[in-house]
Amino acid sequence: MITDLLTKELFMESLEATQKTEAIEAMIDRLEESGKLNDRRKYAEAVFHREAEFSTGIGMGIAIPHGKSDGVTTPSLVFARSQKGVEFESMDDEPAYLLFLVAVPEAGGDEHLRILSMLSRKLMHQAVRDELMKAQNYEDVIRILGES
Amino acid sequence: MKIVAVTACPTGIAHTYMAAEALQIAANEMDINMKVETRGSVGAENELTESDIEAADAVIIAADTNVPLERFAGKKLVKVSVKDAIKNAKGLIEDTKTASVYGSDLLEQVASVKQEKKSKQPAFYKHLMTGVSFMIPFVVAGGILIALSFIFGIQAFQEEGTVAAALMTIGGGSAFALMVPILAGYIAYSIADRPGLVPGMVGGMLAASIGAGFLGGLLAGFFAGYTVEALKKAIKLPKTLQGLMPVLILPVLSTLIVGLGMIYIIGGPVSAINTALNNWLSGMSGTNGFILGIILGAMMAFDMGGPINKAAYAFGAGTLVAGQPSMVMAAVMAAGMVPPLGIALATTLAKKKFTAEEYEAGKAAYALGASFITEGAIPFAAADPARVIPAIVIGSSLAGGLSMLFNCGLAVPHGGLFVLFIPNAVTNLLMYVVSIIAGSAVTAAILVAIKPNKRD
Repeated sequence: MITDLLTKELFMESLEATQKTEAIEAMIDRLEESGKLNDRRKYAEAVFHREAEFSTGIGMGIAIPHGKSDGVTTPSLVFARSQKGVEFESMDDEPAYLLFLVAVPEAGGDEHLRILSMLSRKLMHQAVRDELMKAQNYEDVIRILGES
Repeated sequence: MKIVAVTACPTGIAHTYMAAEALQIAANEMDINMKVETRGSVGAENELTESDIEAADAVIIAADTNVPLERFAGKKLVKVSVKDAIKNAKGLIEDTKTASVYGSDLLEQVASVKQEKKSKQPAFYKHLMTGVSFMIPFVVAGGILIALSFIFGIQAFQEEGTVAAALMTIGGGSAFALMVPILAGYIAYSIADRPGLVPGMVGGMLAASIGAGFLGGLLAGFFAGYTVEALKKAIKLPKTLQGLMPVLILPVLSTLIVGLGMIYIIGGPVSAINTALNNWLSGMSGTNGFILGIILGAMMAFDMGGPINKAAYAFGAGTLVAGQPSMVMAAVMAAGMVPPLGIALATTLAKKKFTAEEYEAGKAAYALGASFITEGAIPFAAADPARVIPAIVIGSSLAGGLSMLFNCGLAVPHGGLFVLFIPNAVTNLLMYVVSIIAGSAVTAAILVAIKPNKRD
């Protein structure tokens, strides 16, 4: 279930940061506050290491920073929305408005990976992105992402 | 237009699937048939099958990890980073039109030329070899078990309840009975995939039961395979009924068509040939023995278990009067031993001219030939009828003719090498052995001369 990954406190309705590093740090903060991490440094390292390979700003206003690390206790997903846009070194050089931070433990089942793969596929559709921008609350977000 | 694609990224969580979806969306918009294999952290999903790849016009690899490409050799291939597929899937699809064929470096070129050579060998040959390679173990297992039954005495298997009878039931009654159905079934399988198996095996079984032998089986296999292919194309069902195709419509229709064809189109002429040959042969008693030996020898080898072989064997067995040696029977058995022996000898002399599988089967063919189990030659003849049948026909007719010329006689209808040691079963034993060896040597020599190299 998407609600297992993206719990209510992991929805950030309006992100303040406009720079990539700040934005990612803010999202990791949220993970830590919600008790999803046991080693923040380790997980952050994994995320930034992945970012260094090439940016996860895939264009179309989306960024999916992600890290797989044993610094993660529970598979989780932070969804942050930015009104101003975050400079994310995206492929299309446009700012990102919909940011998803994925945290996955090193070991563990496939179930959450399947959910994330479904999410990834959904985000490729224009209609889904438009609706996410307009979502009023957490319930809206879950409805949009949960629909198949 | 059909495109297959593989997407993969280092973490295998997000980009793999985004790229896959992007390609799918673009393909839908461009009205292109697209199948995408995702290699993410849950492993490969929606995997491309061999037939997917074969049917594809082009291949897109959108990956930042190592994706093995061998299976795409000979296909137009575009290889890009996973992000290119997310960014510009439509452009990628456009690019495939002008893409170069994978395998164009020098080293790969050699490999792909070889590959191409293989794939350019008429598909016909590939189907034939599939059938033959599935059949070989049946021939070997059945033949050796029959030969084992002879150890208990040439006629021992006729005594019910004995080990010899059991061996004959296993080898002759079962393994050999499956030989032609397996040949036909897997030829059809090679042509039409799984749906081909049913009409192929049933057609092969009918070929055996109407007495059409392995040549009838070859025919049944190809007939079945192409019938299924034609039905697949001809029958268009609404999507909701498509599930019925593989379980109901294809098997029933194709088996019906092939079965009726075997019985009414092939069956009639086969039994007519058999009757005509029987009559012709019985009118020949009294002709020159050498010529009769040559004719019977050629008939024994020609279709190995088909109508012509059966007529010759029945004619030979008919000349046996209890306990009395028959020259005709001797000629028939000599001629029946030559095909596997001659082929076995050829595999020993010219290993290169046979596939690795045939080379191994050649060893068993010695034992089968020595036991007068002519069927040991069938896999070789089925794989290359145009060369093997003439070679064995010439060798067998020589053996048959010589056996008659030397006045050799045989008092039992079967047994091969085993009977040679039974006192009084064979007359003029030495020259009988010479006849068989001469025939086998000629067959082997012809095969070595005319078969092309199969291996380097």
